[in-house]
Amino acid sequence: MRRRRSGGRAARQAERVANHIEQQPFLTRRLKPVEVLGNEGLEIIEHNADIMLEEIGVEIVDYPEAIELFRGAGADIDGTRVRFPAGMCRELVANSAPRTFTQNARNPDRSVVIGDPHTVFAPAYGSPFVSDVEGGRRYATIEDFRNFARLAYMTPSLHHGGGTLCEPVDLPVNKRHFDMVYSHIKYNDKPFMGSVTHPDRAMDTVDMCRILFGADYMEENTVLLSLANANSPLSWDFNMLGSAKVYAEANQAVLITPFILAGAMAPVTVAGAAAQTLAEALVGMAFTQIVRPGAPVIFGSFASSMSMQSGAPTFGTPEPALMLYTIAALARRLGVPFRSGGNLTASKTPDAQAAYESMATFVPTVMAGVNFVLHTAGWLEGGLTMGYEKFILDADQAGAGQALVAGVDMSETGQAMDAVRETGPGNHFLGSAHTLANFETAFWKSGQADNNSFEQWEEEGSQDSITRASQTWKRMLKEYEPPPLDEAKDEELCEWISLRKASFPDSNV
Amino acid sequence: MNEKQSELLDELYAAVVEGIGKSTVSLTVSGLEMNIAAEDLLGNALIPALGEVGDLFESGEYFVPEMLMSARAMQAAMDILRPLLAETGAKPIGKFVMGTVQGDIHDIGKNICNIMLEGAGFEVIDLGVNVSAATFIEAIQEHRPDALGMSAFLTTTMLRFAPNMKELREAGVLDGLVVYVGGAPVTQEFAEHCGADAYAPHANALVRDLKERLGVASR
Ligand code: B12
Repeated sequence: MRRRRSGGRAARQAERVANHIEQQPFLTRRLKPVEVLGNEGLEIIEHNADIMLEEIGVEIVDYPEAIELFRGAGADIDGTRVRFPAGMCRELVANSAPRTFTQNARNPDRSVVIGDPHTVFAPAYGSPFVSDVEGGRRYATIEDFRNFARLAYMTPSLHHGGGTLCEPVDLPVNKRHFDMVYSHIKYNDKPFMGSVTHPDRAMDTVDMCRILFGADYMEENTVLLSLANANSPLSWDFNMLGSAKVYAEANQAVLITPFILAGAMAPVTVAGAAAQTLAEALVGMAFTQIVRPGAPVIFGSFASSMSMQSGAPTFGTPEPALMLYTIAALARRLGVPFRSGGNLTASKTPDAQAAYESMATFVPTVMAGVNFVLHTAGWLEGGLTMGYEKFILDADQAGAGQALVAGVDMSETGQAMDAVRETGPGNHFLGSAHTLANFETAFWKSGQADNNSFEQWEEEGSQDSITRASQTWKRMLKEYEPPPLDEAKDEELCEWISLRKASFPDSNV
Repeated sequence: MNEKQSELLDELYAAVVEGIGKSTVSLTVSGLEMNIAAEDLLGNALIPALGEVGDLFESGEYFVPEMLMSARAMQAAMDILRPLLAETGAKPIGKFVMGTVQGDIHDIGKNICNIMLEGAGFEVIDLGVNVSAATFIEAIQEHRPDALGMSAFLTTTMLRFAPNMKELREAGVLDGLVVYVGGAPVTQEFAEHCGADAYAPHANALVRDLKERLGVASR
């Protein structure tokens, strides 16, 4: 046991709290994934997906070039409706999509391996609003974006920098992506996601990374991961597939995600929504493999239930959890990395509803064996708001996920026979050699939860978890120091950005 | 009104509340055959039925699919009654042109608004998603609606509202037209800032506001 002499209790506590988990570049699972359906059930779903693709097909909207690519690979074309012979998409994916791949970070110690048996946690994505307990809910700005990039850098339970941490509404639409990508590069050294709102912006993202990593390096190595959503039901459009093509051509990873509000965009049942998700994802993934065989691709699923009384998405409900388990198993059978889940909630503030809905999503996420978890931290209001306090509370729980995936330690230490021998009947374990050797890492410890006595808690100001989280993010931003970035590269990037920005007028359309 | 006639009105009322399209249509036809005036079918059965459906929906008892069935039943009856009402010069409840702006394909929120508007008796012309300013203008010129709705779900596409308003103004189609904007990232403040006439945070609020503005009798 180490002894700390100076600073007293507060400093000691601060250090232990700050070190409650170690930064691992990514997690390696020992925990076996939970499955909720046997092979027979999964085969029926796969068969149904095949039938959907053969009989109904998908619409490819505003993108004749993609239709021609599908035709060349053997699909039946009828105007913009593309039908696939049974097994065609599955074969394209199974033949060349990698089971795992490495997404390289500018700091090599932060590169992540995506695919079994690994798990990577990334912050929430896409919110137009941010909120914190004092400032309330407001449109996000680029300064909020930078703040979340800084917080993601400082948060050991997050392995990935994420993508659209929030939408910087204060910047012109056609130039936002420059500042977003640059912020990921500048304020964090973990891997991150690129722009997908237009193929040109995807190209800008690739070009910026070519400056940072070198063009030759990127031919061989993946440094970007970008999100392309299907327009369910059974439709893919130009922006998403076009951006996917830019990334796949450059050997960069694409996260193909049917994003489903069951009831509106898919059948209301688990098996129905799962089959449709599989069908849509197969088309998107097959597309990347037609564009460049071997380009890394992730099978994504975002499936939420819906309030039948208003149409609003609902989270933390049992049915999406069942969908998550089911689709994770389908991805394993296909042999590609899987993305889903997170800490999802419809709540507006990080209150009790937020906590239980998030947990009811996050536990299945971890137990199902998800490989890439977007929306791990910050998500509120069905993704409309990125919350500062929610970010801290979620990231804290992600640390618990880290301990959970490690599974049961069956080593000699894990079996702890010497501890039982030494202690014997009737005594306690607190002083045993085994306990002394292991107590510091034995139990995951929350950096946010309060487990003190009532009196202690009262003495410290009767703070609730939101208040404590608010203090944490403010302290973190105050203490933030940027990771070193090669000055010449930084200059080159900034210069390139300002030239590109000057080369066309600002526009909001 | 004789007993048979008032019995029919009761049945028609029930058919709409239950959302049974076929019976709604056949009862509407029988009603006309029994010499019930179109205005009476509308005012004494269909509209009160929609009022009931709206109440059931707002209280959370009716779900979206049930609202949709009732709205469809209502619209099927309206297809029969509309020409007759026009002949007698009765003022239709109102016409609404709706679309999701260019670059945006989110349509669930808009569709729910449409269901609620139709359920309240409005005629809705849905232009779908990815709708350009030119298409909005054409539709207004063609259909002469009382109100226009533009929906957007992305902070990138809600910025289309202001330029769209400018084009609508330049095309001279704003006279007597109430322009609504809405969608998840849109706020009251943003709606004012982009020059629209009105905003509603959800479908019920839209219907209520529209009825008030057009002076349509509320339930
Ligand atoms: C479902 C969904 C999708 C589906 C849409 C399917 C469809 N057919 O509509 C799909 C998967 C296709 C999709 C795609 C994308 N999406 Co999306 N999506 C959503 C989600 C989860 C729900 C939206 C929804 O339908 N809600 C249900 C309805 C009922 O919502 P509602 O707001 O309650 O509706 C009411 C009011 O808004 C109002 N209303 C609506 N319209 C109108 C119009 C008028 C005139 C009035 C008065 C009122 C009104 O009345 C409605 C009924 O009561 C939202 C998050 C969210 N929680 O809102 C993200 C969200 C809007 N999407 C987002 C994003 C980023 C995207 C993508 C860019 C993602 C990607 N990288 O692929 C693409 C863009 C596609 C495109 N070009 O438009 C972001 C937007 C953030 C931003 N920057 O602005 C959000 C917030 C999620 C997130 N955090 O990332 N998405």
